[in-house]
Amino acid sequence: MSAPSALLADGRSLSAPLLIQLFSGQCLVLALHLPFMPPWLLGVALAAAGWRFLQLRRRLPRAGVVLRLTAVVGVLAGLWLQYGGLMGMQALMGVLLGIYLLKLLETHDRRDGRVVVIIGFVTLTAAFLHDQSLLMSAAALLAAAWLLQTLVVLAGGRPGRDAWREALWLLALSAPLMVVLFLVVPRIGPLWSLPQADQAATGLSDEIAPGDIAQLSRSDARAFRARFDGAEPPPAERYWRVYTLSQFDGERWTRMGPEQHAASAGQPVSRFVQEASRSPYDAGAPRYIAELLLEPDSRPWRPSLGTPLASDARQRYLADGTLEGLVPLSSRGLLQVGSSAAAPSYPDPAGPAWHRLLPQDANPRSRELAERLWHAAEGDPRRYLAALMARFGESPFRYTLSPPPLAGRDRIDDFLFDTRAGYCTHYASAAAVMARIVGIPARVVVGFQGGERHPDGHFTIRDYDAHAWIEVWLDGAWERLDPTAAIAPQRIEQGAEAFLGGSDDFLADAPFSPLRLRELGWANRLRLNVERAEYRWQRGVIGYQRERREALLAGLTERFATLWSRLGQLTLGDALRLVAVATGLLLLWSAIRRWRQRRAGAEGHRVRLLQAWLAKRGHGPLGGESPAAHLRRIAPRGGAAQTALEGMANDLERLLYAPLPDAERHLRRRRLVRQLAEIKRRWPRRR
Amino acid sequence: MAGLSPIRRLHDWWQRRRLSAAGQPLGAQRLFLMPTRFGVIWAVLIPVLLLFGINYQNNLAYGLAFWLFAVALVSLWRGWRNLHGVSLTASASGEVFAGDLAHLSVRLSAARHRHALRVVLVAGPGQVAAAEGEIRGSELILPLAVPSLHRGQWRLPPLRLESAWPLGLVRLVAWVDSGVELLVYPAPGETGEAHARRRGQGLAPQDFAGLRRFEPGDGPARLAWKQWSRTGVLSTKAFSLPPRRQRWLDYDACSGEPEARLSRLCAQLLDYHRAGDLYGLRLPGVELAPANGPAQRRRALQALARWAAPSPRSGS
Repeated sequence: MSAPSALLADGRSLSAPLLIQLFSGQCLVLALHLPFMPPWLLGVALAAAGWRFLQLRRRLPRAGVVLRLTAVVGVLAGLWLQYGGLMGMQALMGVLLGIYLLKLLETHDRRDGRVVVIIGFVTLTAAFLHDQSLLMSAAALLAAAWLLQTLVVLAGGRPGRDAWREALWLLALSAPLMVVLFLVVPRIGPLWSLPQADQAATGLSDEIAPGDIAQLSRSDARAFRARFDGAEPPPAERYWRVYTLSQFDGERWTRMGPEQHAASAGQPVSRFVQEASRSPYDAGAPRYIAELLLEPDSRPWRPSLGTPLASDARQRYLADGTLEGLVPLSSRGLLQVGSSAAAPSYPDPAGPAWHRLLPQDANPRSRELAERLWHAAEGDPRRYLAALMARFGESPFRYTLSPPPLAGRDRIDDFLFDTRAGYCTHYASAAAVMARIVGIPARVVVGFQGGERHPDGHFTIRDYDAHAWIEVWLDGAWERLDPTAAIAPQRIEQGAEAFLGGSDDFLADAPFSPLRLRELGWANRLRLNVERAEYRWQRGVIGYQRERREALLAGLTERFATLWSRLGQLTLGDALRLVAVATGLLLLWSAIRRWRQRRAGAEGHRVRLLQAWLAKRGHGPLGGESPAAHLRRIAPRGGAAQTALEGMANDLERLLYAPLPDAERHLRRRRLVRQLAEIKRRWPRRR
Repeated sequence: MAGLSPIRRLHDWWQRRRLSAAGQPLGAQRLFLMPTRFGVIWAVLIPVLLLFGINYQNNLAYGLAFWLFAVALVSLWRGWRNLHGVSLTASASGEVFAGDLAHLSVRLSAARHRHALRVVLVAGPGQVAAAEGEIRGSELILPLAVPSLHRGQWRLPPLRLESAWPLGLVRLVAWVDSGVELLVYPAPGETGEAHARRRGQGLAPQDFAGLRRFEPGDGPARLAWKQWSRTGVLSTKAFSLPPRRQRWLDYDACSGEPEARLSRLCAQLLDYHRAGDLYGLRLPGVELAPANGPAQRRRALQALARWAAPSPRSGS
């Protein structure tokens, strides 16, 4: 037998086909990192592979220590320049990739090949820190299968079909155990903190000036997904609160975190925030229970539909009626939040005076207008606010994503009296200022409004659903007031996408977004199906954490217990029936076995028939003669049937005595039948 | 038996425990798992991937770690199944002089396809013969050239049948007692004085009669070096000798260490046989009557191979 083709003739060095296989594996693993890595690493991969290729062709010497060191230092220097350091997550990933690619330069024997595969598995896993989507998982599975079949070849398996078959067998046979381990092994918290992937701070920021949220409407990135247990809110109630902004400096609305509030008011922090899994401010029952699938983000914001009242894990409940996680999410996470779908009904400990603060002597025209309206409303806040909303609904005001820029000191004046064009931020900002002028406590709320409902019932909320509105303190409770609903009610009823879809600025930063294909029926269906599969994957697999595991195991234990108790209640009749079924199955099984044995012995039967046929023609077997010997003895007298007789004798002996692989057995059996017919046909006729 | 030390007994027990019989399908009791260095690296890899999963709360990393662990377990079973039921027989062919390679033919058979099988024979320290292949169809025949070390009856050490297939994480090993016994003839040495005397007596070859294939023991003076440089085939010049001369190969006529004497006798024997002489053999305690032909050659070589120096006490 020749040496396995994984190695060269010297029995040590790896052959060119195997190196190509290793390199292809590297390419597959690299492909997982492609969107996240510096592109010049591709050049490193090609250079290392090119060197090895030329070297195999005996045109270059083996890479010496100097060259390898230079290459490593070069890659490190490149990463340093790119990321300004080597300790960040991205830089560390780059180092890992660099080592993986350069290892090819010094890969000569089997052991090196295996080390390359091992580093490949680590690099493959590192790619999961960037992304855990369905597509990534599928690509990773392909790469893992490739690495496994490389190992099979390295262990002496025949490259190609044999190695692939074995790798797939291994993966398939081990899959059930993997699933059980995945479900059963307890999940523990991080053992120590590691550099985190630099997550972009997506979605909302905690301060806005008129003009900010329009940037978000240019993006179709997913903010989070939600599924409701029980009732779903109607479109006009889908206000996801994220932050409240209560500090206004004449230009920007800024959020004051609980710690800042406590520091400026000289009060304990616990008045402004509490860690709990139930709202400490409001004991009411939640109207809607939403299961949120959150995207990773560098800030711990958590959306809630209205005021958060309860959650399935401990969260920070803020006194302004918003929610924060204990830590930022480094990967997607699930959270269940019960909420009221309305503004908070309890006061903010910062006090009403805080919510009336305005910069002095700014926006004089607005103050004048406010006083006029306040008089007309005879000091009734509700009538005053209604008049304000009605004013926004009148014709000179319009809703647009590309309003004229506001630059002056009195921006609210400029907006209300000159440009009169803007979107939610402009209207919310102006409305809150107008309310504060006449002494109504008011704050701006930023969050999301709407979301796309999928046919299977889950909602996707994207960046372009970002929204701003205001809350005013009236009659001992906060009340939501959305000026955008006055000027552009379709934005609230139909969602941002339906309302803004035609605008040039909508999705301006996502030219290839599949969302642009909504008009094409099949493309939209395909997109929805992909998104549904992705949602199920994220929710079922990626979001499988401690709570889900405990719930699953509790469910299983319970089911097992009921089964057990039912077994205890079996009557005699049931037991007899069970025994009868088992006996029946056993009989069926033995019948099948006997049938298969008969089929296996079929050639003996056929040959006995042929022997009888020959005996009628005067050529019967002698006593003690085996069928094959009989056929061989009479073959010379068979004339044209001689070769068939001899062939049949051979096949018969092989079938009866040789351990044959199934394929060969099958082949010989079919040949035997053919030969039998041939013998009868060609046997010399009697004269 | 009672006097055996515990270590010796343990050793014997291990020998009995590990050996499989030739020609029998390998049984489950006789297959051994040996972790390889790569297997140890794999065992480190899985916790590393788990740490990724734990510290980044990353379920795909968890999943991959569990999958690779499960794959390792399944690969044990696949590797075990690859070797289980294979039967091995070995046979030797040709004659062997001490120091030469003994040519074995190892036949592996099984009903199913078996992958990456490797047969290893450790003849002595640093003396290893190995061959590998796969069983496609129903059998595989591997040639194995084993260095033979000493003259005499040589029972081959157990053959090691091993495979690291499918992933190289563990090596499945079975030791098979082939039951092959080789009779190793003495290494043909320089014929020395005896040779010279023969020549002096005018018994040297006379007329050049042609070329024949080189056989071990042919003196360098009779090799056809020119022929070799031209064709690369090592041949010996054959000379016609006056036939049927009667000669004695006498142990006592030689001098030196017993093994050196046997070597010399062996070389002479091959010379006489080639020349077609009648020759007899005298060893202390053994005597063969003069004869010639292949049967005499075999008898004489076997006598040389089997002869054991009588102990000094019984010799005098």
